[in-house]
Amino acid sequence: MSRERTPEEQALDSLVSELRELPGPNLDWARVEARLMNEARSGSSNAGPSFFARLRLPLAALAAVATGVFVFAPRHLPTPVELPSKPLAQVQHGPIDGDRLALGTRVSAANQQVSVEHAGRARWTLEPHATAAVVDDGQFLTVRLESGALSASVVPQPKPETFAVEVGGTRVAVHGTAFRVERTADRVLVEVTEGVVAVEPTSTHSDPSFLLRRGSRGSFGLDGRTGSVEGNASVVVHERGPKSHREIAQAKPAPAQAPKASSAPVAVETAPPEPVTPPAVTASTPVVPEQPSIADIETGVSSAVDLMNRCFRETAQSSDVRISVSTGMTLSIAGDGSVQSVTFEPPLAPDVEDCGVAGLRQLTFTKSISGATFTRILELKR
Amino acid sequence: MTELSELIERCKAGDGLAFREVFRCHRADVARLVQRMTGRPADLEDIVQEVFLQVYRSIKDFRGQSRFSTWLYRVTVNVVLMQRRAAKSRPVLHEAPDEAFGADGHDLPDDQVARARRVSAFYRLLDRLSDKKRAVFVLHELEGLSPSEIAKIVSAPVLTVRTRLFYARRELLALLRDEPALEVVAREVLSEVEASSSLEREST
Repeated sequence: MSRERTPEEQALDSLVSELRELPGPNLDWARVEARLMNEARSGSSNAGPSFFARLRLPLAALAAVATGVFVFAPRHLPTPVELPSKPLAQVQHGPIDGDRLALGTRVSAANQQVSVEHAGRARWTLEPHATAAVVDDGQFLTVRLESGALSASVVPQPKPETFAVEVGGTRVAVHGTAFRVERTADRVLVEVTEGVVAVEPTSTHSDPSFLLRRGSRGSFGLDGRTGSVEGNASVVVHERGPKSHREIAQAKPAPAQAPKASSAPVAVETAPPEPVTPPAVTASTPVVPEQPSIADIETGVSSAVDLMNRCFRETAQSSDVRISVSTGMTLSIAGDGSVQSVTFEPPLAPDVEDCGVAGLRQLTFTKSISGATFTRILELKR
Repeated sequence: MTELSELIERCKAGDGLAFREVFRCHRADVARLVQRMTGRPADLEDIVQEVFLQVYRSIKDFRGQSRFSTWLYRVTVNVVLMQRRAAKSRPVLHEAPDEAFGADGHDLPDDQVARARRVSAFYRLLDRLSDKKRAVFVLHELEGLSPSEIAKIVSAPVLTVRTRLFYARRELLALLRDEPALEVVAREVLSEVEASSSLEREST
């Protein structure tokens, strides 16, 4: 004989069966597997994580309360962008281990700076009252700046792009550099202290719209399509179609002169060189006809790319290892059509650079009044 | 020798590909158990990864005296308990309610919101049980394992497992009665139960 179940028992059983029917969690298995295999390989010679590593997080967490630093965990792990988030825990004084942050995790600084370190890749520091979230920790480590400002220092890597900060629809991508990004109500302010930074719309980040080098800064719209630059920066205008870079101008020493092609999806604003605190945005400048023609620049760029690839291959040590390197090559063309200067940022191996510079100096462009300076990102493989 | 035993033997010999295969075969089960034992924490991925790292490190100790899944569950339960103990030393501020959002962050239909709220409330309820009671309750009621199998997983006599199950259930019932926040949930569930049984009566 069985007794009748109480309402609570019925409720409990119903809850249990409801929970049982729920599908399992949908994790980013590719990422988990990659990390796991990495850990397994690196840890195969060890018994396990070091004593310090085991203690690090709990100890750091215990030290957290005084700092006013908050880490927010995402509601849903696999979707990397635009996630509503919930506060989870207070974290520590020293740098937060970025590799232990779940994707989508928001980090917010209260009254003090807070640093997040991704070992061997990058370290970014939130200024007080700023909030950011890691939205991609795969090949391109990407941080979404939601408010305030952050500074980042990125370890140079032989990859085309390793770290990016997204602010609204603007993407600030770097290749081994140090820079600061600030989000204001409707602008993105970027200051570069080291290396090269590309600023572009988040929707199309295969080609940079603006290249900022050391000492330069810029103010950009939240859509990443408009902006002004000051200092050692280039404005690169794209056209739709197979050839991406069509016209190029530079902001040093004169204000950036951005050709305005009717079909170009990128609208460019230029600014006078001084002062830029905060950077002022002025109206677009028309095409400067004194520069070499687009066709001439493209022809020269093709030759330069071929030459650099040849130099990179020919200076290789005999090895089975495949290597690829990314660098920003900046060519300054004098009025007489000769190549005035060549820079590589980040630098290449000295023998590759020597080979490249020797060949590039042989290139001749058509004559123009003011010459031109342009930057092209090179992907060299061997 | 079964395919799984072959994989395990290869894992023991340090074959990374075999280990990856084991991971792929069992990751969903481990993730589900971790979720059920913890109520979907922010570090679910980390815990799952830690479970498989433990598997990688200690698979040599697996003698085949129990089923591999039992041994894997044992590792999982131990890792979860270890993580929970570590988490207790970390101050947690608060968790915002998230039941009104779907996987894409958008609003869900009302019934799904209600269900998500019940699930969330139930996880909070489970969280109030002791680790030992919660483990056996989840393994028995949600994973459907027998007390004897659970006994192997938690290294306790079968009678102890049955006792923990009895008290876990009794505590949950008391919590359902006494917890005002859960009373709403209980009422909702009951009204649904009554609605479905009246539908059944009408159909017969």
